[in-house]
Amino acid sequence: MSKDLERALSKLRFDDQVLGYSLMTKVGRPFVSFAFPDELFPRVKDSINLYKSDLRLMTIDTDRGLVVLSPVDDNWILTVLYVPELQLGLAIAKTKNVLRLLEGIELPPPPEEFEESVESNLQVLESIAIKAASVEATKPLDTATVSEPVVETPPPVADTSQSQVEELPPPESFNVLPATVPERGPTYSNALSLDSALYSEMKKLYRNFGFDVLMLVDGTISVEKIADSMFQPNNRVIELLKWGASKGIVEVPLVSAGDEVKTKAQSSMGHYIKCPRFEGDMGKIASEDMNIIRICDGSRTTEQIAEELKLPLPKVVQTIAKYRKYGLKLIGKTI
Amino acid sequence: MPKVENPLLLSLYSYYVEKILSETDNIEEANQRLRNLGSEIGQQIYLNTEIVEKTKDNVTTREDVAKLIEVIYKVLFDKKPKDIDMKTARGSVRITDDNCVWCQEVNLEGMRGFGYCEVFSGILQTILEFKGVDAKVFQEMSHATGADACVWNVRLV
Repeated sequence: MSKDLERALSKLRFDDQVLGYSLMTKVGRPFVSFAFPDELFPRVKDSINLYKSDLRLMTIDTDRGLVVLSPVDDNWILTVLYVPELQLGLAIAKTKNVLRLLEGIELPPPPEEFEESVESNLQVLESIAIKAASVEATKPLDTATVSEPVVETPPPVADTSQSQVEELPPPESFNVLPATVPERGPTYSNALSLDSALYSEMKKLYRNFGFDVLMLVDGTISVEKIADSMFQPNNRVIELLKWGASKGIVEVPLVSAGDEVKTKAQSSMGHYIKCPRFEGDMGKIASEDMNIIRICDGSRTTEQIAEELKLPLPKVVQTIAKYRKYGLKLIGKTI
Repeated sequence: MPKVENPLLLSLYSYYVEKILSETDNIEEANQRLRNLGSEIGQQIYLNTEIVEKTKDNVTTREDVAKLIEVIYKVLFDKKPKDIDMKTARGSVRITDDNCVWCQEVNLEGMRGFGYCEVFSGILQTILEFKGVDAKVFQEMSHATGADACVWNVRLV
């Protein structure tokens, strides 16, 4: 555990734009710090106390630089001081990247007594984790430790949340594409409140990633843009949104033939796509490119071809470009 | 790769066309957006090129308009359009280009009514406007949607 934690934190330590950082408890006591100026602690602590359990991502502009606060879990807050000239968006993105590294690590709650900002606290934390794990093995029900997420969701609460959403279709029946713009659903705010069963369920499945994506869902930005701004692959965001849709957290289109007809009728022009079509001599095609060129029949987009053949998109684009001179055309149309 | 002229212009323009098509759901609206893009570019062209010096101060007759279009073609594409027709329709000048720069290697299917090269309508209309000519320019036919040549209609008001 402490190895992983150290690795995640070292990402900050070796970042030129990071002036210092501190892993703090939820009440704002610095547990492990690195070059974080002491005079900033009172201010950070005040901000933490102001928001208490409602703290999400927060930034404080100080004369020493830009401080980004973000909760790691129910017990811990990561505080990073960035150089003043760093763009806010970049600072947030950097912090989120570290949070994502921390996602896989189960941090035990802090000990009641500890010396503030001491490096060796990491080892202390580890021994607590080991102890907690062994206690749990013997009597798993009465200790509320963080190291075993299963205990976090009390069964009766989970049951009610399930009965609530029973009418909603399963994740795979939603149609989420990179261009889809997800909207907030009826249980959106419930999923974002840290004490809800829905939040625990999401946390269990997706860690903080779920929360981060949902924060960006506002009915105006597309899946692609969400993924881009988080430096994450589209598919990961899509998978989460499909799950979210099945719980009523977000609203996205359903896969259904009827739906497609409806949208077509509404607009006089459909979605514009470009599909490669090979109209030349098949004899010119190298055998290793055959599988790609063969399905360039003007019915699929380059992206669809890549997906169908399970090939990376750049590979398909390369191949298509190669055969332009042999009669490969790109056909634009609306569907 | 088939030989194209001015690949940078072609790539930039196809980027804008695709962007506009993804943001509109109606062909007339897309045409108008491309014309608007052209109007904005038209201003830049008017400021950045010697079209002003090479044309008469007072463009009044259809012959003057035809001459101005020839100058624009020369300055922008270093060539002449295939035909500038002033006779067939009264009050209109029709430009035919069978080698249009904007839609090289573009093949559109089932998109009738879409003027792929409407950007040039906007450019022409704006430059004419700066020259004091009140005209409406639109694309009648586009090579991209299967016509033999691209045709623009300059309707003098």
